[in-house]
Amino acid sequence: MLAALLALVGLLIATYLTLFKIGVIGQLVCAVGSCETVQTSKWATFIGLPVAAWGIGYYVAVLAVAVGLTTERWEQARGLQLAFLVLTAWGALFSLWLTYLELFVIHAICQWCVVSAILAVALFVVAVMDRKAISHEASVMTSEA
Amino acid sequence: MSQQRKSKGAFWALLGAVAVLGLIAIAYVAAKPKTRGITEVDLKADPTQARGYLLGDSTAPVQVIEFADFECPACMQFATLTEPDVRKLVEQGKISYRYFDFPLEMHRNTWEASNTAACADEQGKFWPMHDALFAAQDQWNGEATRNPKPVLKGLAQQIGLDVAKWESCYDEQRYRSRIAANRAEGERRHIQSTPTFIIGNKIIPGALDSDKFMSYVAEAAAAAGPRPATPAMGPASGLPGAKKDTSGARK
Repeated sequence: MLAALLALVGLLIATYLTLFKIGVIGQLVCAVGSCETVQTSKWATFIGLPVAAWGIGYYVAVLAVAVGLTTERWEQARGLQLAFLVLTAWGALFSLWLTYLELFVIHAICQWCVVSAILAVALFVVAVMDRKAISHEASVMTSEA
Repeated sequence: MSQQRKSKGAFWALLGAVAVLGLIAIAYVAAKPKTRGITEVDLKADPTQARGYLLGDSTAPVQVIEFADFECPACMQFATLTEPDVRKLVEQGKISYRYFDFPLEMHRNTWEASNTAACADEQGKFWPMHDALFAAQDQWNGEATRNPKPVLKGLAQQIGLDVAKWESCYDEQRYRSRIAANRAEGERRHIQSTPTFIIGNKIIPGALDSDKFMSYVAEAAAAAGPRPATPAMGPASGLPGAKKDTSGARK
């Protein structure tokens, strides 16, 4: 449940940044750092698309899986649990790479990107904890049987 | 079981509320007009000094105007990625290009940069300084330093200016009123962000890539037909060949 909430917040941030990147929003609200510098750098585009647009795709996928895992039908689906873990691991690694670029290559920080990176790492932590909880439940059930 | 259902119900309600609030916030920001209804103009700025910095022939078929801030990253992006192609159009006589300072308050050292460029113009080297300022933006901008003068002086030396002359011009801010007038001209035209371009009869905000820039120029050239395009300046511009407008009203 927490994962779905985190993914939804991430999706809203990615949508906001994408709308800025394609010119729908004129100016970013940026209390800390230099959002403009980061968003107009060459690193803000990845394989021909704005990084923020990839973020939309990523958070939609995570949200769909996270919501799926809250339903009775899918909550025990091992494939879906594994997909959630792999997806969030990839998201966390990619976000850490982007944060590295901000700090050491672009030399500017975008507050929205940092929040997104924190969300991505938090999602991975939630996925790992869920995985542990499920493994623990399975081992308890096996020993009870 | 009913406890679980209740907690799931609360979860969906929370998720829905966050989604709705988030979408309302985004829609509000996206719907905000990019141009303010009321624009403040610097009354001390002498409008006749707002002539920008011209590149090419002022009678070229299409006249392009850029309002830019030397410290703005998007302007730097345009200057380094698109402007080499723009210069080719100028060399071919297809366009004239005019740069207007539009220093934004949010950029700490942008006035010093405009001052540097204006003083370079005094020695006929505005454009080499324009290029040098953008190329070295990360060395003199507000994030890099609180005292940009040593870096700017280095640029003056680098492009071959008489540094002593440049420095006396820089220190006394000889062209402060010209820079203010350039900015006031942008405000008069409701320029809201940098860079903003005026190509033909279109005002286009944002850094353009080469393809988009070329297509706007082609459009303006087609609209102008065989006669030279009317310069996109108003009555207060002080530009040679500017269209006379007897109404005197601000647009």
